[in-house]
Amino acid sequence: MRFKTRNFDDVPSVLRIDELTVRLADNDTAPPVLDRVSLEIRQGETVCLVGESGSGKSVTSLSVMGLLPKGALAATGGRIELEGRNLLALGAQAMRHMRARKISMIFQEPMTALNPVIRVGAQIEEVLDTHARLPAREKRARVLDIMSQVHLPDVERIYHSYPHQLSGGQRQRIMIAMALILEPQLLIADEPTTALDVTTQKQILSLIAELQEKHGTAVLFITHDMGVVAEIADTVHVMRRGQIVERAPVEGLLRHPKHDYTRELLKAVPSLTPRPSRPQPDGPAVLSVDGLQKIYGAHGLFSRRKTTRAASDVSFSIPRGRTLGIVGESGSGKSTVARCIMRLIDPTDGEIRVADREIARLSRRALRPYRKHIQIVFQDPFRSLNPRWTIGRSLIEGPLNTGAEKKTALKRAAELLMLVGLPDDAVNRYPHQFSGGQRQRVAIARAIAMEPDVLVADEAVSALDVSVQAQVLELLETLQRKLGITILFITHDLRVAAQICDEVVVMQHGRIVEHDSAANVLSNPRHAYTRSLIEAAPGRAWDFANFHELQTV
Amino acid sequence: MVASPQPAARLQWLFGAMAMPRGWRAGAGPMVAAAVLFLIVLASLLAPLIVPHDPMSMDALQRLKGPSETHPLGTDAYGRDLLSRVVTGGRISLLIGIGAAVVSVLIGLLTGLVSGFFRIADAIIMRVMDSLMAIPSILLAIALVALNGPSIWSVMSAITIPEIPRVVRLVRSVVLSAREEPYVEAAVALGSSMPKILWQHLMPNTLAPLIVQGTYICASAILTEAILSFLGAGVSTEIPTWGNIMAEGRVYFQLKPSLIFWPGVMLSLCILSINLLGDTARDKLDPRLKKREA
Repeated sequence: MRFKTRNFDDVPSVLRIDELTVRLADNDTAPPVLDRVSLEIRQGETVCLVGESGSGKSVTSLSVMGLLPKGALAATGGRIELEGRNLLALGAQAMRHMRARKISMIFQEPMTALNPVIRVGAQIEEVLDTHARLPAREKRARVLDIMSQVHLPDVERIYHSYPHQLSGGQRQRIMIAMALILEPQLLIADEPTTALDVTTQKQILSLIAELQEKHGTAVLFITHDMGVVAEIADTVHVMRRGQIVERAPVEGLLRHPKHDYTRELLKAVPSLTPRPSRPQPDGPAVLSVDGLQKIYGAHGLFSRRKTTRAASDVSFSIPRGRTLGIVGESGSGKSTVARCIMRLIDPTDGEIRVADREIARLSRRALRPYRKHIQIVFQDPFRSLNPRWTIGRSLIEGPLNTGAEKKTALKRAAELLMLVGLPDDAVNRYPHQFSGGQRQRVAIARAIAMEPDVLVADEAVSALDVSVQAQVLELLETLQRKLGITILFITHDLRVAAQICDEVVVMQHGRIVEHDSAANVLSNPRHAYTRSLIEAAPGRAWDFANFHELQTV
Repeated sequence: MVASPQPAARLQWLFGAMAMPRGWRAGAGPMVAAAVLFLIVLASLLAPLIVPHDPMSMDALQRLKGPSETHPLGTDAYGRDLLSRVVTGGRISLLIGIGAAVVSVLIGLLTGLVSGFFRIADAIIMRVMDSLMAIPSILLAIALVALNGPSIWSVMSAITIPEIPRVVRLVRSVVLSAREEPYVEAAVALGSSMPKILWQHLMPNTLAPLIVQGTYICASAILTEAILSFLGAGVSTEIPTWGNIMAEGRVYFQLKPSLIFWPGVMLSLCILSINLLGDTARDKLDPRLKKREA
């Protein structure tokens, strides 16, 4: 693994944050959101801020931009110095002048950061308009120039496109073009690749690095992904609860982490080395899918609409107590397969057998008794529990449907909560009183309450912080050992798949391109697409949990 | 250890964690509105007990008298006591207002839930609603009164029917967005039946907007009733309502403007208070509006 090893000792600093403290407005008793954060970024340097959600990474970047939500957060102490001027003391007018010219920012979700009803070319021009007076022809030339610098293809066409006509990667390139057109000294990137697929992420990261070299821009890069840190950082700052707990050059941090929290964070990063394989059981398949097909838009009553094949000819089977992973990028059809198997949507063709019963053709009503055999855990723990219901009520919903008595169901609910590692008095509390990881445990408990044969986990750990992710994966593993559940695990993250799956199915464009044991798929991929996925995984040559290079690569 | 939920928790169940206001402290405006409305409702309920005279009894010697000790607001053209009539008139007006609100919200809620959840039903229901929306309530009332004779039921249905589509649309839009929530899909996966999902998961989402819509319907129904009575298409002219009293007073407007003034004041106060309370409920129940305020 090659890290960046540039030396910044003699380089002038661009941004200097000194003992910055941010508090909740009108609440002096609550602990500060940022507690004396100090940070320095020098010309051409990439500084990474890492930490889990709620650690204050984004608040730091918003403070620099002068975009703290008014009336909610307020900077109460410290300095943010750019070119010798304290940004905290600047008025709204002066601050507006600094943005885009001196500092600019790119966000996580390029679709919401761009205006959906204005052509992207005009949006880039708008940045020029507010900060410089240029004749129309020159403006256009500059916009086209920066668009080709971010490697957009066919810039003339894209100039006249609306955001929805572009792919996620192209939209993020537009955002970068907008951010860099005035050649600011500092670029703040707040999780700019989190919403993108791994292969696109790789391209965007190398684009940022390339432009940084060309313009000498300093970059403040905010991320939760240690793999990304390993790829791009010069210096890393680890944040926790509003404080910077450790700062070091990237290689030093990954090799010799000093603070306990940093070690914990690194240990939680799932390894790309597949888990040791388990003995192949010889029972019959609990879940088998044969020739599954889903076509969207096939039934137009009056019109012949264009159809989309979201899944075609998908076949696999899983024996009892095993875990099969479906891996693929967004739009590969992996979620469609999961939703067809759950019969949340109706498959167009094919066979689904759960516990020796064909369920693909059953009517909704006839299906209900068989629902208990197969349960699902969703990605977003904040939306998968009814906010108006107590945890207990959510947990007994399923058992009541299958005819259980309320009293026994509630008793069982308390046991289930213990089983997933929550206190049993959680029964009477509401979802908003729990953290994301805890809610995901509740969602798992709700699924387990039905005593299913198959558990479908649809990106079930993707919205969680790495340390929580590790705990939830461990929970699934334990439950599988205790109850012998078969798990269908859908994920975009190869690292997670490597940790939990016995077998992996790789999907692309609605088709299975590779299906093999996890060890074979990850260390000996046969399909070119699988290879490109593995190559794009950031930091793949580094074993984060053991603080050294991966031995096998 | 299953304690029944606390009252606050029960309210939370109704309105959801996000919508639960920090306290029901409101500004001076809503407090005054609540007090005024409370007085009007109380007076209407107790009208037979508290009015000084029978609102129907005529006295040819006391026609169009000014305020006196026996008649604090004076008398109308038939010598009936104006105060008694105005207080009693609130009974019908409020009955129609609240009745129209409750009936249209109930029908609209059920129809909207079905329409939002079942696609085929939706196509049919929404076309029916489109045509209902095209009916002007005043014309409908005149037609119904011409058919059935003036009665409180004609007026109430004339006001309720055109309001139903508005409620249906509101409920439908809430259901359409809520049904995409993963917790609804989880309920499907857990084998819950459609009626159960509709009533237990989706319906509570519609309550907050419905309460707000209900107050607006109530206010506009009271106003429409007054307009209909004024036009002579309302309830029978013998029964005092605010609209009826004003309609009769119209002829003597130049002689004795207070015949229109007092019922008019009551009507305005009543509608103003209801609308103000509705606005307050909307601001309190909609967390998005609250944020904008801050």
